[in-house]
Amino acid sequence: MTRDEQEPTPDILTGTLIVDAIEGGLARVEREDGSTEDWPLASLPCGVQEGDVVRLTVSGGDLDIEIDHAETQRRQGTAQQQLDTLNQATPSGELDL
Amino acid sequence: MRHVLTLATLSLGLASAQAAAPGALIIRFLDVGQGDAVLITSPEGKSVLYDGGRSEPRLQALLNLYNVQSLDLVAASHADSDHITGLIPAVRLFKPKFFLNNGLAGTTQTWNRLVTAAQQAGTQGLVARDQTINLGSVKLTVLAPPAGMPRNEQNLNSVGLLVQYGKFHALMTGDSETAETVGWLKKYPASALGPIDVYKSIHHGAKNGDNAAWLAAVRPRNVVISVGPNSYGHPTAEALALYKRVGATVYRTDREGTVTVVVQPSGQFAITTGHGPVVPANPPASRPAPVAPRPATPAAIPPTPAPANSGSAYYANCAAVRVAGAAPLLRGQPGYRPGLDRDGDGRACE
Repeated sequence: MTRDEQEPTPDILTGTLIVDAIEGGLARVEREDGSTEDWPLASLPCGVQEGDVVRLTVSGGDLDIEIDHAETQRRQGTAQQQLDTLNQATPSGELDL
Repeated sequence: MRHVLTLATLSLGLASAQAAAPGALIIRFLDVGQGDAVLITSPEGKSVLYDGGRSEPRLQALLNLYNVQSLDLVAASHADSDHITGLIPAVRLFKPKFFLNNGLAGTTQTWNRLVTAAQQAGTQGLVARDQTINLGSVKLTVLAPPAGMPRNEQNLNSVGLLVQYGKFHALMTGDSETAETVGWLKKYPASALGPIDVYKSIHHGAKNGDNAAWLAAVRPRNVVISVGPNSYGHPTAEALALYKRVGATVYRTDREGTVTVVVQPSGQFAITTGHGPVVPANPPASRPAPVAPRPATPAAIPPTPAPANSGSAYYANCAAVRVAGAAPLLRGQPGYRPGLDRDGDGRACE
């Protein structure tokens, strides 16, 4: 029996993270279920930035963590477009509520 | 010399209706744990929620607790989850007219849910720019991120809000960092920034938020640190030392719970806390050229300040209780005394 068969990869180590914020040596990440966790920045790929999508994959018993630049860009583009649309009719001048 | 009404400890159970203090501005620095959420209610009952903390149920419970009936504007200082998550139920429940934001989208699901909620609620997006928003007789000045801030740094693009009511000034600046405060210092004269009567600590007392040059301009008299259990070391010793150096009285939501500021049209204000020890407020700051207040119905001002070292609340009369947002007082709660309970039913100042 291989090591992989003896120790199935826990789900917690696979999937996607989105970096919500970087606070000193910690990165607050959003998991797929929407919850947030603090991860040591050192455990994420070098150069990771706020907003990045980070993909966790297991192959051959090794955990790979890499920034998914394409998905990051896609999310950024979509979200910015959505916000720009919402802000499109921003009134100018003094506002009375 | 003016006196400040230093009311003592109130329990969260003393929460009153949203517009329970006619003529008064109420600012609540909500105890949302690690995060920011500030509820501002004008004497006319107009309300703004500046940030919403990191938890939807917690924010929703607080809105219920304070009997919030409506929100006219919600503001996200920036897109971080500990500032925006609670805005989601707020938008869904109250469908505010405006959603103030820095114009830079986040990539998280939380951000997506917030913007989608705003779309579904018919809420108009409002990109921060130098703009005045009148909340009835309360004036809000938006401090837009200064030019030159990198677009990929949410903290550096935090939206600030200066709140003015009579001679009273409060200031909130999200999770700004030194580069942004330097930008604001170039943009605004120090006299436009300070002195500030009640100031929200930048970034929960992080190391890279408040700094000596900024605080020298802001001159905060009372600082509220919105903070909860965290792994980041907030508030830092450095930030606390800065507040001490400028002589500010510090309130912390992790120790004192929700911090409530009740401001009279004259600029006099009282600070009360949800729990914890009594923390006497610093008196109002004086400015050389006070901003003329818009007409507002004056409210009765409790004539007697509470004893500074009292372990329980003291209210001179029911007007003082109402101004503090504490009515009705129940028997056994801080500040209750038979003299305030005319019919003796255990509910004073009903």
